[in-house]
Amino acid sequence: MARDVTTDPATLEEAPPPEATDDATAMAARLAEAGRAKRLNERTRMILAYVVLTLFVVIAIGPAFYLISPAFRDSVSLFTYPPEWIPSEPTLDNYRFLFSSTSYVRWAINTLIFAGSTTLLTLATNTMAGYAFARLRFPGRNLLFFVILATLMVPVAAVLAPTYLTVNTIGDWPIIGNWIDIDTYLGLILPSAVSPLGVFMMRQFIETLPDGLYEAARLDGAGEWRIFTKIVLPLIKPALVVLGIFVFMLTWASYLWPLVAATDNEFRVLTVGIASLKGQFVTDWGILAAASLLTIVPVTIVFLFFQKWFVQASMAGALKQ
Amino acid sequence: MAEVILRQLTKHFGSVEAVEDVTLRIPDGEFLVLLGPSGCGKSTILRLIAGLEDATRGEILIDGELINFKDPTKRNVAMVFQNYALYPHMTVYKNVAFPLETARMAREEVAEAVQRAAEMLEIEALLKRLPEQLSGGQRQRVALARAIVRQPLVFLMDEPLSNLDAQLRLQTRLELMGLHERLGITTIYVTHDQVEAMTMGQRIAVMKDGRIQQMGDPTEVYDVPANTFVATFLGAPPMNLISGSLERDNGQVSFRFEGYELAVDPATSVIAPDTLEEAVGEAQLGVRPEHLTLASPDAEGLPGVVRFLEPVGSDLFVSVNVAGHAVQVRMPPDTQVSTGSNVRLAFDPARSHIFGADSQNLRS
Amino acid sequence: MTAVDAPAPEAVPDDWRAPTLSDAEYRWRARRYRFRTVRRAAGFLSPYLIVWGVFLAIPAVWGIFLSFNQGGLIKGDPRVFVGFDNWTRTVSDSELRTAVKNTSIYVLIAIAVVFTLAIFLASLLNHYKKGSNFYKVALYFPLLAPPILGALMWFFMVNFDFGILNLIKRTVIGGDGIRFLGDNPHALLTIVAVEVWRGLGFWVLFYLAGLQSVPEELQAAAKVDGAGKWRRFRRITVPTLRPLLLFALVIAVIFNFQLFDSVQVLTDGGPRLGTATVVWFIHKRLFKFQDTGLAYASSIGLLVVVLVLTALSFWLLGKRRQREA
Repeated sequence: MARDVTTDPATLEEAPPPEATDDATAMAARLAEAGRAKRLNERTRMILAYVVLTLFVVIAIGPAFYLISPAFRDSVSLFTYPPEWIPSEPTLDNYRFLFSSTSYVRWAINTLIFAGSTTLLTLATNTMAGYAFARLRFPGRNLLFFVILATLMVPVAAVLAPTYLTVNTIGDWPIIGNWIDIDTYLGLILPSAVSPLGVFMMRQFIETLPDGLYEAARLDGAGEWRIFTKIVLPLIKPALVVLGIFVFMLTWASYLWPLVAATDNEFRVLTVGIASLKGQFVTDWGILAAASLLTIVPVTIVFLFFQKWFVQASMAGALKQ
Repeated sequence: MAEVILRQLTKHFGSVEAVEDVTLRIPDGEFLVLLGPSGCGKSTILRLIAGLEDATRGEILIDGELINFKDPTKRNVAMVFQNYALYPHMTVYKNVAFPLETARMAREEVAEAVQRAAEMLEIEALLKRLPEQLSGGQRQRVALARAIVRQPLVFLMDEPLSNLDAQLRLQTRLELMGLHERLGITTIYVTHDQVEAMTMGQRIAVMKDGRIQQMGDPTEVYDVPANTFVATFLGAPPMNLISGSLERDNGQVSFRFEGYELAVDPATSVIAPDTLEEAVGEAQLGVRPEHLTLASPDAEGLPGVVRFLEPVGSDLFVSVNVAGHAVQVRMPPDTQVSTGSNVRLAFDPARSHIFGADSQNLRS
Repeated sequence: MTAVDAPAPEAVPDDWRAPTLSDAEYRWRARRYRFRTVRRAAGFLSPYLIVWGVFLAIPAVWGIFLSFNQGGLIKGDPRVFVGFDNWTRTVSDSELRTAVKNTSIYVLIAIAVVFTLAIFLASLLNHYKKGSNFYKVALYFPLLAPPILGALMWFFMVNFDFGILNLIKRTVIGGDGIRFLGDNPHALLTIVAVEVWRGLGFWVLFYLAGLQSVPEELQAAAKVDGAGKWRRFRRITVPTLRPLLLFALVIAVIFNFQLFDSVQVLTDGGPRLGTATVVWFIHKRLFKFQDTGLAYASSIGLLVVVLVLTALSFWLLGKRRQREA
């Protein structure tokens, strides 16, 4: 029964067998020593763990810091050896060049328009569709949902050519062609707002709201649209925020579709624009660093404020719960 | 205010027959209670009337108008849900005002109507709160206020008291009755609690397996249960049922079980002689505990042995073993009796019931 | 028949029992009534269905048709029907074969590395909770930048002259620097490193969520039973994570198979096709307007692979749900 008295089973493992000594005080001393050894061991392990973790953190955020120095110096000075970490003649020339001789501002504005509109469009269409799938009974509902869900993972690349052709074809049509075409905002946005992930997410989320609320609202005379706007939307705000962040992050980071759909500099977005700064053969490192840094900083600041939401949003994409 | 008629109302969920051929008429202003065990279809009837489910067959009329094919938003019936279904993101005021704002009523009128409803239910002090800041009883009141605020044709209540504690339930019961008296709105009230049914209902419809077993005013249903289900569902403890058979000897019908024989006189038992003749065969004798009395072993009646005593203060319930049947007897609390003693059970045939092989009461 | 006369029940007591509608009319009106839900659903669904239909569903079907054609992407290059020609050539085209090979190697290495590191770091974070929030946020950081920017950051890191990796190499090991992007197989491995760096945070959080769903009592019970760390990990943690692991694996394959951004910006497929991937190949063929037919066919090949993997992931997810229930 002595075993039960000891609360820490870990200590027990290290303890000598009870018959080793009859002397109770010696026994206690040995137990204490074993405990100390164990604790010491624990501490080394902990330190090691934090060292490893910190190492990975350095790797994770290091590359961004490695941009700082080149961004504020003359590109030629990068190539001196031994390397000069802190530029002796810091300069804003790279930024001056970025704003005066490239379309950086235009790209940034385009990115905001592109990602912002795609997010709003996705939120609106997906929430409505999610509501229909969650709450409305209509024949063929499950089949339609299944067909839509099947396209969840369709890669942009797999439908790149036909999507390009679709947008191009619509562009040849009268009137609507002025709005939807290659090198138009809508031509860029609409094919980016097709993913059914949000439909799926919203359906899941709206289904968790108690049935009683809809039923009460219907008996209170509210039609579907009023229920949707006055009851459902206010109650799914958190899900809207999560989906919104997710779509925005995904859209502004996207590259392949903007690369082919917005070739005209007037409609080019940041990802394509910055990539174009890296020349085919010769690269102006300073400008590249400056542009990259300038693009990352605001996102990082926003992220630090809303990190909880960001993490949820990224998980929502994978776990869908 | 309106009359509600259900005609052969039927609702199937797949192969489950939730409501089967229900026909009833609820006159304007009546308080009708649908009583039955869970899963008997009583809530489904409410949901059919409200339009939350579509009937498989049969018609629903409110004030003579067929409403089967009218959207629930336009039926003008109000429902109080078991869990109240308050809108969690709206204040109490907004909750109560919601149906009026939906109907595009002018802002001042809304305020006035909400105020009136709030006064009636004494929730004026709560108007600015959110539902999560309310107690169960307060939520109940808000739900009621939201239901009455637009003066619906019909009130549907789906076990509205089941989430309240016993004391609050009693109080709210009385208030609901007062409210009904004041407003006079036709009310259909669903419950599985027989006490609620007996005390609140002007009429009771007892349901089982989607069908109405019996409909009538509470005393009628209690005193002359139509079948063994109603007999045992109402009353605590339930009516004693003893299985036996009706047999005929030289023109005299008697009820026999386990070697005992009780002559059945059609006149005192209020059974039509023809019915009694036809019912010869398997049968059950039913007597409520309060209609039995304990008598000394040498008196007339069914002999038995006292097994258990359950004093509940106001009464003493005695469980008597009669030829293997446990029979409950309600006696005054000061009755002197001990377990193991031999007794005789006496009862008035006019207060007893005989149920035929089909479990139906033979009484006319 | 819509206006039904209210019967006067007092006068004719039993009249109210008679049905108003004939069976046929009842059925017809019931059907019309039920149809209202279709109208409503159409209202809520059509915005999404239109966008989805025009810009995803129709193109996907069109793509199948295109895979039997050559050209037609720009004016002056008319579309020609070539039958199964594109499809037969997908098997023999050496550039495509290299792309598939590279992509597969990349997927294998990247997933093996990122999953191992992620599970390792997740178990560390699960055990040492102090400050874990900071580590989670910091590890998540690379995901904030678009893949293009992430790749560009590494463009600086691996530069031959001033990249920190080469600076370290020269100082510590000595000798000349490594041409991370200029030699094979370094280039593909560098791409792997960049993508692992980018995805690690996500998978750490993913597995951390999974680990935290391992019941604490189970761990404690095993500890009391004297099970060592490694044993506990194998007997309790791994079985709990296994369904999650399979699902994650499929998802990771789907995503990684589409590798394009960092390749396009860092190496453009080179050197000597050493980093050519399937999507890079498709893009190249389509928009350099050479042999678009082969790109059409490989797009559909990619589509089929992804659809099959998607179905697999749903199946795994369903199985996991079942187990949880």
